[in-house]
Amino acid sequence: MNPCRPVVFTARSFALIFVLGLALIPGLSCSPQNRPKGQAIYRLNADPTTLDPAYIVDVTGGAIAAKLFNGLVRLDPELRVIPDIARTWEIQDGGGTYVFHLRDDVSFSNGRVVTAEDFRYSFERLLSPKGRSPNTWVLDKMLGAKAYIQGSADHIRGVEVLDPHTLRIRLERPFAPFLQLLTMTAAFVVPRETVERLGSDFAVHPLGTGPFVLTEWKHNTELVLLGNPSYYSGKPPMSSIRYRIIPEDLTAVTEFELSNIDVIGVPAYEYSRFRSSDRWKGLLSSSQGINTYYIGFNCARPPFDNPELRKAVAAAIDRETILRTFYEGRGRLASGPVPDILRHWPAPVLPAYDPVRARALVLSSADRHPVINFYVNPDQEVVDIAEIIQWYLAKAGIQVRIRQLEWSAYKAAINNGEADMFWLSWWADYPDPENFLFPLFHSSNHGAGGNRSRYTNREVDRLIESGQRAADVRERNQYYMKAEHIIAGEMPWVFMWHKTDFTLRQPYLKNYHMYPIYSIDKGTEVSF
Amino acid sequence: MLIPLLLGITFITFALAKALPGDPVYSMVGERASPEIIEKIRNELGAGKSIFRQYGGYLLLLSQGELGRSYYTNRKVAEDILTKAPQTFKLAFMAMLIAVPAGLLLGLASALSRRHWVDRTISGLVISGMSLPVFWSGLMLMFLLSLKLKLLPPSGTGGLQYVLLPAMTLALPALSSLARVTRIAVLDSRDMPYIRTARAKGLQEVRIIAAHVMRNALIPVVTVIGLDFGSYLSGAVLTETIFGWDGIGRFAMEGIIKRDYPVIMGCILVSTLSFVIINMLVDMLYQYLDPRLRIR
Repeated sequence: MNPCRPVVFTARSFALIFVLGLALIPGLSCSPQNRPKGQAIYRLNADPTTLDPAYIVDVTGGAIAAKLFNGLVRLDPELRVIPDIARTWEIQDGGGTYVFHLRDDVSFSNGRVVTAEDFRYSFERLLSPKGRSPNTWVLDKMLGAKAYIQGSADHIRGVEVLDPHTLRIRLERPFAPFLQLLTMTAAFVVPRETVERLGSDFAVHPLGTGPFVLTEWKHNTELVLLGNPSYYSGKPPMSSIRYRIIPEDLTAVTEFELSNIDVIGVPAYEYSRFRSSDRWKGLLSSSQGINTYYIGFNCARPPFDNPELRKAVAAAIDRETILRTFYEGRGRLASGPVPDILRHWPAPVLPAYDPVRARALVLSSADRHPVINFYVNPDQEVVDIAEIIQWYLAKAGIQVRIRQLEWSAYKAAINNGEADMFWLSWWADYPDPENFLFPLFHSSNHGAGGNRSRYTNREVDRLIESGQRAADVRERNQYYMKAEHIIAGEMPWVFMWHKTDFTLRQPYLKNYHMYPIYSIDKGTEVSF
Repeated sequence: MLIPLLLGITFITFALAKALPGDPVYSMVGERASPEIIEKIRNELGAGKSIFRQYGGYLLLLSQGELGRSYYTNRKVAEDILTKAPQTFKLAFMAMLIAVPAGLLLGLASALSRRHWVDRTISGLVISGMSLPVFWSGLMLMFLLSLKLKLLPPSGTGGLQYVLLPAMTLALPALSSLARVTRIAVLDSRDMPYIRTARAKGLQEVRIIAAHVMRNALIPVVTVIGLDFGSYLSGAVLTETIFGWDGIGRFAMEGIIKRDYPVIMGCILVSTLSFVIINMLVDMLYQYLDPRLRIR
């Protein structure tokens, strides 16, 4: 027998409790705190590691640094090199010497005028033997750079200050994309007195010449950039930019839908919804990404030291169907390693999808029943694609074992050549075909240098080196074309596609543009 | 006991972290760093030394009250943890503030209305609350309370407005397990002879429940509260990530993903410490709640 009398709860009493509970949180709202007039709010998916240009390797840091700093030159939206702090320049000695004439009206945000000496200091700081900048490769083509890096010279011999506003840079040997290198974050100018006063704290209290000044950085929460009234080309239309750090995509989408963020990168799983939504009609922007997605083969060991087997894999995969269905057309099929937007020559013709030929090629190879270790990173989209590829290859008689590793272990594994086959993409550091050939296919870059397929072809090496040195653009393109055609013929990769990125913006944001390289966006065009 | 325990934890964590595949340097330097720079950074991080020398160096650092510097940001791990710990404490405290009264009330209501529809409804909700993963319940709460009802901001670190949503997400499994334990404890103690005695003395039902049933049911309930609070103080990784809450859980997660060993070690050490302290407090509370456990 139950000694206690049951206490009766009715549906009405539950409703009452719920309403009372809600009444306890009056005044709560999901809208943002009153944003200052003219402030744009953007999203970052991670806290920048550093904002010191010499040490930035992540896109997040680079995108912010582009608004805080300037270099000698920069890129315009058509990817042409245009003046930044250098008003004009001359190229001499067949591309071996550059003379830059600097503007005299550019100051750091502490008010001091920028001189050629500041550039010399910034370049030497980047290459300093005492530092450990991972970006030394950006400037190591300068004459005497290697001796300086090794500590056997006091200065970089090739960098000379001719007068306060003239800088001469001589290279070890002509390097055609040198101006593009100077548009990169690592080549931005920094003020010596501030860097020396702050030491390593310069990474969190950066001070530059850019259109914005960093005023607040709450790590892992937000950064606030205030418009620089003394910016050399005028104060930007936006009074400030607030970057909110939101790691989770779904959370960012919710914030965007509540107008708490002004622009978001569209996650793959939201693409269809946003594209077909009336509410967001006309607000979706896209940019042809300067990237190449590929399946890399380890060409230095069996089974993929056999080009025929590489071709069999390529012929077995229906890239077009995967791109159209799984990727919903968010990209363009690749014809080789170089993105179409950078290619100024006829594209290589890749073999079409042909499962019958693929199977025949497998059967005619020495190892008729290969089992392939296919390494992928933990990104769910990549894992899904890997499973699709596994299915296609099984049809061709190739058994694939997918090895999914987290990023750090994955990079170590492919750098060390442990994978038979791996999924990866390459995004441009600077918009020149050389950036898609030298690091990825030159035999001096095996492993962590970028050539993870360990591809070696002396003729390709020679052609790429000749292209790097050729001052004439047509001659250069000839070298690059020959190199790309040889590579496409030997297939150290299955060239998958060039991914297109999408962003979605709020209707009240004016003059918003999406750029293929983050350094183009100085934040000086957008307004309300 | 605390010092050997912490030493043991540091050794196990250190050994496990070093045994994992992967090299943090590759993530630190981007795509095109020269082999010389990679080697230089490795040497600076002491990666070339034996694991015992590395561990010895870490213990030396600990003895000076330091937790080292993050490989990536070069900031002091101890300083970062000090800025994040109050946020994690705030979230854990708020979650318990929701979970404890709600869990106790639901458990009590369920026990007092045994086999009634209220009991069945609460039991169903409790099982759901315990089974639902926080990434799902968190997103559902965000969808409902932020996107649809526009009551709370979806993410951010800050005051009451920001903490409620992650706290409710965290509170859901905690209040569910509390309700379950409370129900069982109340049902157990309700049949005890001292309750019959109390009733024979003519005490009112409310007094019997409050002073006799609940007091005796509190021991297992306090255990569950202690365990949950301790684990939340160690950082609620998923909840903090979903809601962009700048706490120790998210910090530890980012450290693990990037193989930032000083961050991993620091977070685990602090988490262990807070867990041990909470358990000690719970042990002390037992003695207050149950006079039989007092040391004479």
